Amino acid sequence: MEHIEFRKISKSYGAVEVVPPLDLSIEQGEFIVLVGPSGCGKTTTLRMLAGLEETTSGDIFIDGENITDKRPGDRNCAMVFQNYALYPHMSVRDNIGYAMKVHGAAKADIDARVEEAAGLLGLSEYLDRKPRNLSGGQRQRVAIGRALVRQPQVFLFDEPLSNLDAKLRVEMRSEIKLLQRRLGTTAVYVTHDQVEAMTMADRVVVMRSGVIEQVDAPITLYERPANKFVASFIGSPSMNFFDARIENDQLLLGHQRLQLAAQEAERIGDFGRVIFGIRPEHCRDSEAAAQLTFGVEVIEPLGSNTLLLGTVGDQKIMAQVDPRFAAQADAPSTIPIDMSAAHFFDPITEVRL
Amino acid sequence: MNDRVKHLFIWPAFLLVLVITLFPLIYALTVSFQTIRIVPPTPPRFVGFDNYGDILANARFWGAIGTTATIVVISVVLQYVIGLSVALALHHNVPGASLFRVTFLLPMFLAPVCVALIAKMIFHPVLGPANEFFTLFGLENLPFLTDPNFAIAVLITIETWQWTPFVVLLMLAGLQGLPAEVFEAARVDNISAWRRFRDITFPMLLPLSAAVIFIRLIEGFKIIDTVFVLTGGGPGTSTETLTLFAYNEGFKKFNIGMTSALSFLFLIVVIVFGTLYLAGARKLTQRYEQ
Repeated sequence: MEHIEFRKISKSYGAVEVVPPLDLSIEQGEFIVLVGPSGCGKTTTLRMLAGLEETTSGDIFIDGENITDKRPGDRNCAMVFQNYALYPHMSVRDNIGYAMKVHGAAKADIDARVEEAAGLLGLSEYLDRKPRNLSGGQRQRVAIGRALVRQPQVFLFDEPLSNLDAKLRVEMRSEIKLLQRRLGTTAVYVTHDQVEAMTMADRVVVMRSGVIEQVDAPITLYERPANKFVASFIGSPSMNFFDARIENDQLLLGHQRLQLAAQEAERIGDFGRVIFGIRPEHCRDSEAAAQLTFGVEVIEPLGSNTLLLGTVGDQKIMAQVDPRFAAQADAPSTIPIDMSAAHFFDPITEVRL
Repeated sequence: MNDRVKHLFIWPAFLLVLVITLFPLIYALTVSFQTIRIVPPTPPRFVGFDNYGDILANARFWGAIGTTATIVVISVVLQYVIGLSVALALHHNVPGASLFRVTFLLPMFLAPVCVALIAKMIFHPVLGPANEFFTLFGLENLPFLTDPNFAIAVLITIETWQWTPFVVLLMLAGLQGLPAEVFEAARVDNISAWRRFRDITFPMLLPLSAAVIFIRLIEGFKIIDTVFVLTGGGPGTSTETLTLFAYNEGFKKFNIGMTSALSFLFLIVVIVFGTLYLAGARKLTQRYEQ
């Protein structure tokens, strides 16, 4: 069932259009992640949903109700901010229970729900501390607890993990995901970290300059990126791109010819100029593998695998190979390319072929 | 390490402090135990605590404390309440905020003597615009400066008018330094504007508020120029403040010993009021400590 719907919403500051008219619908109970480089309008979009930013045009619906002109407090959303935004002079208990208290809930009710949320988030022993005496991870848990007890219809997360260290981020991201699934509350989550987006989302919304580039399940984004931008943004290490030609079912890369996979050959066997994309991890053997020789410049052994950095002609390439792969720096090396995992984009529109 | 170098840095500063603050202070203290008159010149004579005793027995001294405290306490409360309200309005960008931001600060830049002179014209019992205004309500020729209660009210009004901008300036800076996200979080959580102010803004500004009020209290106790110009301490000595009292003793009667003793008593009065205030403020800020 459709829960949240953006209909042609846009945002301009003066003459600058930050978010051109945008459509998006979010299902009930879905975990949606808005991802994109900084300045892509993802936070603005989230803040428009929260009501903290006015929309320039368009409408936002929650549960079929037009909430575009409603005050933030009347939208029944709960938001978690990047900088936690805790009330510094209140204890953890008061922080979590404050909204309930203001809205006139009974003391016993508040206590029960605060205790429950604290238990859920592992904050029980910190309830009487002030935020100042908590670590970053604990503070963010308090912020999440504050959102939790309100039992909102929508959770909004604005880069909640950006201020945490890498290890904590990994922990928190699965915790948030689990929590959301358990509560079944629709969640909209903003991040610039594609790993966060991929691991947490039911569907990912990839944005660039206020425009939605693709909305899909994480695995679809990875396997079938809609365009070159999405292809380069999703996946780590990121995809290699080459200017190339397709002729006679073969890919011409410099002087080398790589045989297309049968399916691709049938579809775009004589396309002409293309952008050829291959992920470093797809430099592997397969039934449809073709051999590519390139000049290795740097070898980075990571243990579980090894990265080869080099150039094909004047174009850079990064390949991920077995740790024992025989390669030498400053010498040419030949690696297999799994052509069934290759991506091709139109050189002008950069759209997937 | 050449440790002797440190003397080069310490001694000049120490001597400077000694010469410009400690020496006059100690000198004044010794003078306060003597009778010294410049006009007519009499040789200094050590009298112990006689000066202090005389002052403490003098009803005029206690009257001056009462007058000063009344003016300071009421005007500082008004300055804070009005100042914070104006700062809040400016912070929330009421229409014309940038114009107000400048005009509200102007009184603070005027010399108190000028302010007093302007006030003297405004509050002229016959020709002033204040009289004109009150006449509309049938209150003609009110004794603004000649009735003790009216005179004190006028002094409070002027103090408030002149120093509210100071409070506005600092409170506005404080408001703008508060983290915006905290208030956004409260808005999303459907906390009303009044509760946001009561539970978040005000407690977060408490430490600053305490400091601002403290500065105004200490400064306020030194009030002399406006009183001097406006009422000269009159009618009688009903609006005479502590510093004006000291000034009259020193520069009208040239009774230097007495004046020094008075200055030290003034210091004690300020310390007493200051300490009482800080104790109270501390209790309040502790409750909301971060």
